[in-house]
Amino acid sequence: MSDDVVDPAPRARPIIECRGVEKVYEDGSVHALRGLDLEVAPGELLAITGPSGCGKSTLLHLLAALDTPTAGSIRVGEYDLARLRRPDHYRREEVGLVFQLHNLMPQLSAVGNVEVVMVGTHRRRRDRAARARELLAAVDLLPLADRRPPQLSGGERQRVAIARALANDPRVLLADEPTGSLDSDSVRTVLGVFERLRDDLGVTVVLVTHDESVARIADRTVEMLDGRVRHPDGEVEAPEVRGPSALPLGR
Amino acid sequence: MGRFVLVNLWAKKGRSFGITLAVALAVMTVVTLAAVSNGLKNSATQVLEISKSDFTVAQKAAPDILNSTIDSHQLAEIRATRGVASAIGVLLETQDLNAANPLFIEIGIQPGDLRRFGVTMVAGRPYAADASHEVMLGWRAAQNWGLRVGDIFHANGTWNRVVGIYSTGISYGDLGAMFPLPALQAYNRVPGALTLIFVKVTPGDSVAKVAAAVDYNHPELTTIRTASQFGRADRNLVFLGAAATGSTVLAILIGAIIVGNTMLLSLFERTREFGVLRAVGWSRSRLVALVGSEILVLAVAGSMLGIGFSFAAAAVLEILPPLRGVLHSDFTTVGFLRGLYTGIGMAVIGALYPALRAAHLTPLRALTHE
Ligand SMILES: Nc1ncnc2c1ncn2[C@@H]1O[C@H](COP(=O)(O)OP(=O)(O)OP(=O)(O)O)[C@@H](O)[C@H]1O
Ligand SMILES: [Mg+2]
Repeated sequence: MSDDVVDPAPRARPIIECRGVEKVYEDGSVHALRGLDLEVAPGELLAITGPSGCGKSTLLHLLAALDTPTAGSIRVGEYDLARLRRPDHYRREEVGLVFQLHNLMPQLSAVGNVEVVMVGTHRRRRDRAARARELLAAVDLLPLADRRPPQLSGGERQRVAIARALANDPRVLLADEPTGSLDSDSVRTVLGVFERLRDDLGVTVVLVTHDESVARIADRTVEMLDGRVRHPDGEVEAPEVRGPSALPLGR
Repeated sequence: MGRFVLVNLWAKKGRSFGITLAVALAVMTVVTLAAVSNGLKNSATQVLEISKSDFTVAQKAAPDILNSTIDSHQLAEIRATRGVASAIGVLLETQDLNAANPLFIEIGIQPGDLRRFGVTMVAGRPYAADASHEVMLGWRAAQNWGLRVGDIFHANGTWNRVVGIYSTGISYGDLGAMFPLPALQAYNRVPGALTLIFVKVTPGDSVAKVAAAVDYNHPELTTIRTASQFGRADRNLVFLGAAATGSTVLAILIGAIIVGNTMLLSLFERTREFGVLRAVGWSRSRLVALVGSEILVLAVAGSMLGIGFSFAAAAVLEILPPLRGVLHSDFTTVGFLRGLYTGIGMAVIGALYPALRAAHLTPLRALTHE
């Protein structure tokens, strides 16, 4: 663990906690998040929807420590994101990222793409390869493990990207429109993978999406508007905090 | 990470090859120049090593050793210097015999000095002191032309009978011919002139002291004790050394520009990839290590290739008409090391800016790079 740990593992409280998060982009002209509050329970599969430009990707970037909030606090697990001293470490160990475009490296095979994020971890080379195959098996891609991304379909690529995001056993998976560029068949398979991850591994998943079918598999859907979370009746969301055992399984 | 480096290089074969070639050409220039300048230096200094003298006397600041001119009366004065056991005066000339031998070496020396000068007869006899039309050939020269004792050798615009074949044990000397001193002086219209004087000191006397006395008594002359001191009398070699250094610097600069440009372009292409790596938790330093390892692999490969090229380049130079028989390139460890420094140096200089740029890109900006 790193110096960024502020409080050792209290399991009952939300794994993600955003309080009054503001994000003003550097030039000062865009106020993308305006006092956003959000809590996510451990093991929850949360869908975030909302109109284009409402700040969904901005929020995800903050949660991934790819950017820093202008004001407010964000806590993920034991990490206080406003005071991260080693964002690389946080990104590697605590969260996994899935993008709308798979962003795989075309020169590497599927296994290679998963392995490369384990470079520099305690895992030894042979263990890394074995782990990568294990993860590809988990997303039903073992037979295609040695293909390179150009030889895979869009859905298969996105599954490789999910396997990559899981390589270092993150507790939180962040996905920005992971099905945004897929046909409906592929959407189904990819969503199946997300569900299984939550059910089998207890990974917390935050999915940004425009897709109705995605919202259907989620434990909870929140809608964002103008840089804030909106409650269905227009109030600011105040979610109940649930543990993984409280999750209704097998829908 | 090692395999990742190789995969990346292989994925961009053209770019990798371009950088390797740029490094190789620069390294080739440097190593070949070092080998050639060493070789030329060796050839010329070998003359000094034929005689086992304690020191050699040459004209001060002669542009090269073969252009040194000393008068016979100075030989007599040096012989009279305290502590000098013997002093041999020698005239060295080169002659453009034919296209293959543009710098054929001719040595004028008294037959009485031959043995002390380090010459052994392999066949025949020494020439007479005042003979004309008599010549001794070095055994390598004789072998090259298939000449034997009794044959006729044309040189200096006249015929000469080969009366003996000699050996000096030094290839540069054995590739030439020896003439009676007055005859060679006459052929070259330099009566009484010598090129070098080889001095032996009486046993028990200090070589340094005797040399210093000669230096003091003859301000127009210089004494050379070892081959490495040769630069004292040879401006050409000093110039060649400077040219080698200059070309090294130039090769590094040009190479670094090529490497830097190619790297910068490729990093631009890979911005998104770097953003992904940073987003999945790669640190800045790991990214720099990746880029650094890639360039280092190319630099080492290019250096090896360049050293290979330099052997070929030297071989070509050696058979070029003006250098044939004169240039025996001398590859030394120092030359190879200098090549390796060049290769790695230019790669490091070239990759520095691109690597720092890659490191300082924020992951988000890299990710959203189109
Ligand atoms: N790097 C940036 N610099 C300045 N403004 C930005 C930047 N990134 C996003 N914005 C602005 O911030 C606001 C929120 O953008 P964001 O990408 O979070 O929206 P989004 O909800 O993900 O939209 P979409 O559904 O279209 O992806 C938008 O007005 C956008 O123009
Ligand atoms: Mg977005």
